[in-house]
Amino acid sequence: MARVYVSTVVNARNDRVWARVRDFNGMPNWHPAIAESRIEGGEAPDKVGCIRDFRLRNGDRIREKLLGLSDFDMFCTYSILESPMGVSNYVATLRLTPVTDGEKTFIEWTAEFDCEQEREAELVENIGGNVFQGGFDALKRVFGG
Amino acid sequence: MPHVVKSTIIDAPTPVVWNVLRDFNGFDRWHPAIATSAIERAQPSDKIGCVRRVRLKDGSELRELLLALSDLEQTFSYCLLDTPIPLFNYVGHVRLLPVTDGDRTFWHWESRFTTRPAEAEALTRMVAGDIFQAGFEAIRNYLKEAA
Repeated sequence: MARVYVSTVVNARNDRVWARVRDFNGMPNWHPAIAESRIEGGEAPDKVGCIRDFRLRNGDRIREKLLGLSDFDMFCTYSILESPMGVSNYVATLRLTPVTDGEKTFIEWTAEFDCEQEREAELVENIGGNVFQGGFDALKRVFGG
Repeated sequence: MPHVVKSTIIDAPTPVVWNVLRDFNGFDRWHPAIATSAIERAQPSDKIGCVRRVRLKDGSELRELLLALSDLEQTFSYCLLDTPIPLFNYVGHVRLLPVTDGDRTFWHWESRFTTRPAEAEALTRMVAGDIFQAGFEAIRNYLKEAA
């Protein structure tokens, strides 16, 4: 099983950062790689079990299911149902933790998945280095960091 | 039950910070509140269950027991056994997590304890400020001097 772990710090209180990232249908509002998103079946984006169907700027289409969402602990867990990436059993979590020293937020984004052995390094690099870090860089541009 | 949570970012890789923090007998080298430290019965400081006896700068002595230590998770937990301060049922947890963006460290330090209601607020402030926040600043300086 492949694992991805990336983390960063942004210069804003965690409630402000959470307001920006908690919307499971809101990736196009903050992540530069995501072009458009919709929730299937007209469900609310904070209904656990809802499915988002989104398109990347490169044209790839991905369907993901919301597995867990906590406004108290400020995390969101989801799985990939369908994607062109060649991964299976993919589960990812985005988690915010307050940094009390200076009103900052520690952000962690993790993923676990199975894939063909020879593609693992490339997928880990792409998911961690491009997708997750790309989202962090966008948040740092908004909030500073 | 008072619950104190403090966290900071240290501008050093996690293994470097962990190398200093994991020594349960080494706080006298960097924490400004602690004058001396010794492990009872000559046990190693990473043996679960070992007891450290520390003397604070003000002369008071306390004994603390190592409850858990993980080099994998970079965490440890400890509790107070004897203290002249009315901190009862005190359990503390330290956890380090890597900030991959910039090769830094997120340091989370929390504790829970009971005390007399009249003293809860002052003791919470003391733990948060004189122990946790002062420890953050001290490690920052300690690592800067070591570099």
